[in-house]
Amino acid sequence: MDLKRITRVMLVCLFAVFLFTQAGQAAAERGFDDKEIRIAAWGPQTGPAAPWGAVARGSKLLFDIVNEEGGIHGRKIKFFVRDDQYNPSQTVAAVKELIERYGIFAFVGGVGTACCQSVYKILLDNKIIWISPCSGARSFWDPHNPYLWNIWPTYEDDASILAKFAVEKKKFKKIAMLYNNDDYGLDALDSVKYRLSKYKMELVAALPVEPTERDLSSQVAKLKASGAEAVIGFCAPTQAAIALRTSVSQGFRPQWFHSYNLSDYPLMNKITDGLWSKEAVISSAFFIPSFADHPLINKYRKAQERLAPTERWGIFYQAGIVVGEPLLEAMKKAGKNLSTEAVKKELDSLKNFQGVGPKITWKPNYHKAPRSVQIWQAGPKGENIVLQDWTENEISRH
Amino acid sequence: MPFEQLLIEGLAMGACYGLFGLAVVIIYKTSEVMNFAAGEMAMFSTFIVFHLLTFYHCPFWVALLAAIVFAALLGILVQYFFLRPAKNPTLLSLIVITLGVEMLLMGFASWKWGAEQQEFSLPISYMVTYEPIKGFIISQWALAVFIIAAVVMVFLYFFFNRTSLGTAMRATQQNKHAAKIMGINTDRVFAFSWAFSSVIGLIAAVLLTAKTILDPQFMMEPFLKAFAAAVLGGLMSIPGVLIGGAIMGLLENFFGYAWPVWKPITAFIVIVLVLCVRPSGLFAKHWVKKV
Repeated sequence: MDLKRITRVMLVCLFAVFLFTQAGQAAAERGFDDKEIRIAAWGPQTGPAAPWGAVARGSKLLFDIVNEEGGIHGRKIKFFVRDDQYNPSQTVAAVKELIERYGIFAFVGGVGTACCQSVYKILLDNKIIWISPCSGARSFWDPHNPYLWNIWPTYEDDASILAKFAVEKKKFKKIAMLYNNDDYGLDALDSVKYRLSKYKMELVAALPVEPTERDLSSQVAKLKASGAEAVIGFCAPTQAAIALRTSVSQGFRPQWFHSYNLSDYPLMNKITDGLWSKEAVISSAFFIPSFADHPLINKYRKAQERLAPTERWGIFYQAGIVVGEPLLEAMKKAGKNLSTEAVKKELDSLKNFQGVGPKITWKPNYHKAPRSVQIWQAGPKGENIVLQDWTENEISRH
Repeated sequence: MPFEQLLIEGLAMGACYGLFGLAVVIIYKTSEVMNFAAGEMAMFSTFIVFHLLTFYHCPFWVALLAAIVFAALLGILVQYFFLRPAKNPTLLSLIVITLGVEMLLMGFASWKWGAEQQEFSLPISYMVTYEPIKGFIISQWALAVFIIAAVVMVFLYFFFNRTSLGTAMRATQQNKHAAKIMGINTDRVFAFSWAFSSVIGLIAAVLLTAKTILDPQFMMEPFLKAFAAAVLGGLMSIPGVLIGGAIMGLLENFFGYAWPVWKPITAFIVIVLVLCVRPSGLFAKHWVKKV
C-alpha cells in the first residue's frame, strides 16, 4: 500500500469517528447524567455593567444550597457562569461554547436586553429551557417561545402602574419623565403617555439620558423649568443618583418615582449620600423585600453569609435566586426520570408559585411575566416601606 | 430658560473638563503622545483616596496628599515600564500602549474595589449652595472648581515660562534630539511630565466625583469631553485647553437644554468640526515641518 492510500484510509477513518461521535452525543439526553445536571448563566462579571453580574452569582448560591441539601433526586447541580462583559458578541460565544462543549440542560437569568436577544434564537433552536431574561422587553414573550419563561414584568406595565399611583394616590397634576434613551426607557415613556391620556393629561417634560452620561445639569434644569411636581425615572442607578443630587443642588425637589430596577435601596442610599431616604424616593418592586423577615429570605441570607461571605446581599443577588427557584421546583416535580420535556411540562403548569420573587403562573401557551408590581418608598433608614401591595396593570396592552 | 443656572453649571463642568484636558495636554506637549489611559490613571488614583478614607479612616487631606504622591509614582511607572521599553516606537504604537494601560487599570480597579458604585464623601459638597445674587445659585463644589482651576492655571503658566524644567519640557517637545544635545535628560523630562499629568488628572477626577458617582467607569465620559476640550482649545496651548473646556461645558449645557436628544453627541460634533476647520485648535499655532 503506498503512502497516499494509507493517508486516504486514515482520513476516511477519522471522518467516520468524528461523525459517529457527533451522532452519539446528539442522541443522548443533553445536559445531565445520573450524577449531575448542568445549568448555566451569563452575566457581566467585569466591565461597565459588572454590578449586575451579581445575578449569576445569586443563582450559584441557590444551586450551592441545593447541592448541600443532597441535590435533585440524587443528582448534583453543576453550575457554569460565563462573563460576557455586557457585550452581545461575547454572550453568543459563551453560550455556544457552553452548549457545544458541556451540553447545558437549562439557562437561568441573563443580564442585558441586547445580550439576551443575541442568544434568543440559539437557545430556541436547541430547545434549551431558559428561565427568565432579566429584562422586561416585549420581544421575550411576543411571539410565544415554548422554551422561555418570563419573570420580569414588562417596563410598560411597570411604568403604567407607577404613573397611575402618582396621579390617583398622590394627586400629582404635573408629571415629567427622565428616561434612558433605549428600549428600557422608550417602552416606559410610551406607557406613561398612554396611562396619562386616560386622565386627559400629558407629560410636562420628557428628557432622555444616556447610560454613560455623568452631567445631567441641563436635563434637571429643564425638568425644573417645566414646573413638574413629580418625575418618573426609567434610567440606570448611576444616572438616577446623579439626577437626584443635581436636582437637590438646583433647589428642585419633586417627588421622584423609579422603576423596579432601582429598588436596591441600600445601594441607592449609599451612592446618594442618604438623599434616597431624605427625598423619600418611591419605586416599584416585584421581589419579596431583600431584608424582610421572611422564612426564605432568612434562609438565603444565612446561606450567603456562610457560602459567599464576600457578596453583598441585595436586589441583584436576589434576582439570581428568583430565576433559579421555578426551575428547581419543576425539576423536583419532574421526578427521577429527568428530561427537557418533563421539566417543560412542570413549568407549564406552575400555578401561583412564589419563592422570593413574584407569584408565577404559566400555561403551555402563556409564558409571560406577572403583570403586577408593588410600590415601595425609601424610609428614613434606607428601609423599604410598602405603600401599595401587588397591583396589576389593568390597561396592559399585552 | 434658566440662563443663570446653565451658565454656572456649564462653566463649572467646563473648568473640570479643562483641568482634566490639561493632564492630556501636558503629555502631548512633551512627547506628542495622546494618553488614552489618562482617565483610568485618574480613576485609579481617586480610588486610592477612597481606599484610605474608607479602610484606614485617614483625614481627607492626608488621603489626598498620599494619593498625589501615588499618582506621581503611577505616572512615572507607566512611562518607565510601558512606554520607555518600546523599541523604535511610532506614535501609533505608543497610543496603542496607552490603550492597553487603560484596560489594565480598569480591570485591576474592578477586581480590587468592585464594579459597584461607591460611597465617597468630600469636604466640598455639590448639595451646599449659595445665592450671592438673586437667581445665581452656586454650589460649594462649583466655587472650589473655579478656584482650583485658576490656581492650577497660574501655576502652570509660571512653570512652563519661568522654570528651567518647564523650558526643558517645551524644548523636548519641539525637538527631542536637539534637546538631548543641549544636555537635557529627556528621559527624566518624560517621566516628570507623566507624573505631573497624572497628579493634575487626579485633582480633576476628585473634583468630578463630588458631582458624579465613583466607580471604575466614572472617568470614561469626562475623558472624552476633556479630549474634545483639548482639541477645541489646541493640544499645545495650556490656556487654550481651559478656555476650550469652558466652551465645551457651556455648549453641552445650553445645547442639551435646547435639544436634549442631541446632547450626548456635542463632544463628537466639536471634535469633528475643529479637526475639519482648524486642526490645531482655537489657540494653538499650527506647526508645519519642512521636509
